[in-house]
Amino acid sequence: MAIALARSVVVTQRAKRHRLWRRVGHGLTYLGLAVALVFFLGPFFWIVTTSLKGNEDFFAFPPVWIPLEPSLKHYAALFTRSSGARYFTNSMVLSTLSMVAALVVSLPTAYSIARWRFGGGLLSIFLLALRMLPAIALIIPIYIVYKLLGVTNNYLALIVIYTVLYLPFAVWLLVGFLRDFPVEIEEAAMIDGCSRLRALVQVVVPIIAPGMAVVALFAFIATWNEFLFAIVLTGIETKTMMVLVTSFTSGGTDMFYGEASASVVLGVLPAFAVAFMLQRYLVKGLALGGTRG
Amino acid sequence: MRRFWSATAVALLLGGLITLGWLTLPDRVPAARPYEGQTIRAVVNAEFVKYSLTLVEQDLYDKLGVKIETEVIPADAFVAKTLLEFNSGGSPWDLVMFGPSNMPDYGRHFEPLEPWVEKLKLDFAMDDIVPVFAKVMLRYQGKLVSMPYDGDIHIMYWNKVAFERPDNRAKFKAKYKYDLQPPKTWKQWDDAAEFFHGWGWDGSQAKLFGAGASYKPSGSGFSYYWWRQRFFAYGGNYFDANMKPLINSAAGVRALEEMVRTMPYYPPGVLLFESEEPKTMLIKGEVPLLHSWTSTGKRVGNPGESLIVGKAGFGIVPGAEIDGKVVHRPAITPGRGMAVSKYSKKKEVTMKVLEFISLPDQSLKIVMDAKTIMDPWRVSHLRSEKFRKLFPDADKYLDAIEQSFPYLVPDPVIPAADEYQRKLAFEITEALAKRKYPKDALDSAAREWDKVTERRGPEKQKAAWGEKLAEMKSLGIEYRADWAAKAK
Repeated sequence: MAIALARSVVVTQRAKRHRLWRRVGHGLTYLGLAVALVFFLGPFFWIVTTSLKGNEDFFAFPPVWIPLEPSLKHYAALFTRSSGARYFTNSMVLSTLSMVAALVVSLPTAYSIARWRFGGGLLSIFLLALRMLPAIALIIPIYIVYKLLGVTNNYLALIVIYTVLYLPFAVWLLVGFLRDFPVEIEEAAMIDGCSRLRALVQVVVPIIAPGMAVVALFAFIATWNEFLFAIVLTGIETKTMMVLVTSFTSGGTDMFYGEASASVVLGVLPAFAVAFMLQRYLVKGLALGGTRG
Repeated sequence: MRRFWSATAVALLLGGLITLGWLTLPDRVPAARPYEGQTIRAVVNAEFVKYSLTLVEQDLYDKLGVKIETEVIPADAFVAKTLLEFNSGGSPWDLVMFGPSNMPDYGRHFEPLEPWVEKLKLDFAMDDIVPVFAKVMLRYQGKLVSMPYDGDIHIMYWNKVAFERPDNRAKFKAKYKYDLQPPKTWKQWDDAAEFFHGWGWDGSQAKLFGAGASYKPSGSGFSYYWWRQRFFAYGGNYFDANMKPLINSAAGVRALEEMVRTMPYYPPGVLLFESEEPKTMLIKGEVPLLHSWTSTGKRVGNPGESLIVGKAGFGIVPGAEIDGKVVHRPAITPGRGMAVSKYSKKKEVTMKVLEFISLPDQSLKIVMDAKTIMDPWRVSHLRSEKFRKLFPDADKYLDAIEQSFPYLVPDPVIPAADEYQRKLAFEITEALAKRKYPKDALDSAAREWDKVTERRGPEKQKAAWGEKLAEMKSLGIEYRADWAAKAK
């Protein structure tokens, strides 16, 4: 009896200890997450609040974490004095069209490779090689060609180069999805009277939508953040938001910290919004990509 | 009848006076805008430069009817992008901002001004330009091709509280055996930085810093400018007559060793500081000493952000005592110029715009505004009563700038100046970060300089440098191998 009692006490103590350790473990996990959150989001929080501060608060000590009288004057200055609206629109147009172009070109390419091994192994290797070339190695030849063709400072020319740059990633990703897609379903659709194009659009595309979402997001964000081609191939009419951000933050920003911060916030938001919108597909797409054998 | 004539005479007199008044008031006569409806394109390297043009745009439009559309290319990509456009045989810009140290690369793409001065009767008020800028910033192969836009140089700033507190003076004298005063030599600067570092020299309990600096390597060459002013004071020069780099000479090594040794007296993070961080620390009273761009003075005097309004001193950058005489070698750092692209299809109107923005009264508006960080380059800027009363001690600030002009050292204004500067700035920061010994870093920079010279063509570089060497000699700047050892 005494032994049984002692054993139950020991078991209870063990359970308590286990619960305690579990709580400590959870506590440490949350603490770690909180620290990581502060570490990664802290700078962005600082930039957001700086974009809302008055000039006198930029360097105040102790620091002004949250401005007492937040103001949108830096955003207004960005749009009135610094052609922010034009740059923002340019980025939106270029990113959206590049995203669409990447999808429109990569889907049939990937489909033809997945279904018919179009181009043999050579096309795939060529595409991969294209991906391996650093952009800096391409910039001068591309600039010279564009200059000769008279298409610098032109939306279409930029979209073409961005599409070429994103194509390898998009094709390789979609080929994987398409190879995993059971060809029997597609054939069943065609037996029911679908053309191949209709089967692709109405049967295949909805199922590989997560993969296409990843491609879309990648193309949008990559175009939005792209700097090298945007600086070299653009002119005053086609400059993008990233160029504006850099023109505030390089070469001594001096009194323009507010506008610089506002430009960074505006530079991040659209990509963030697109990622948020495509999040559902994105998680699914990455998970599928991760488990594919 | 008499009443009729009297009334008529009064009416005529009044009418005459009104007409005369109407005609003499300039606002009443609609100004002719000879270039109404024309827009020119300018290219600059930062948003604050674009902002500076907005200060004169209304007057420009009222006077000439011209508008300026300004493209900003970020500073780090500016030289590469603009030269890429020019070297491909064209440019979308009419008015071009550039760094005068890059004149050898840009000059051939600029329209000479003198024929247009003749043709359009332009007046650039050349006699009013500070002589050293007129001498080293404006010409390409002997032809006038640009006007100054920003007279960048370094001057020294100090916090008077630090230097005048009796406690500080007594402690300093006890430790260093001479009176605490704004440094005249680099030795005194280093002593002051060591002395002030790590305690509340303003009477507070705060741990403050010894001095401020910008040591980040970049296209703007911050660490290079800080090193260069010591290097020249110790007798250095960029190359000898045969294009052999002298940067790794005894003068260069001494300058860099001193900078490395005194690193602990500067704020943490100084290796990442660009121009603004130390300026902010100065105006917040966290560093007692800083040599920096002249635009700093306008921030010092701005009560909206500065805690040292009326408490700041202004002077020439320290030098070295050679044979009992202090030799100062402050830097031109590097300034900005404006020129007309030779590919412009609107040369005439762009020339008129260049003349307009360079006018003494228009350019004064630009250099007086703290947000532009543009610095005075005309004698009339320095003498302007308005400028001299802009903030407390603005007169002393402008006097310090004027006092520095006779001693200024220009950049190596030869082809690939930007490349030479970047290579050197990188190696200087390598040494400051203690990844290399100073001598090794400078040897490495010298090897890189040799490669640049080789790539650009040694004979061509030598010829260009020969001209600059003569120009520097005329400014009193020559290589002195023995100074590094005897400089105090």
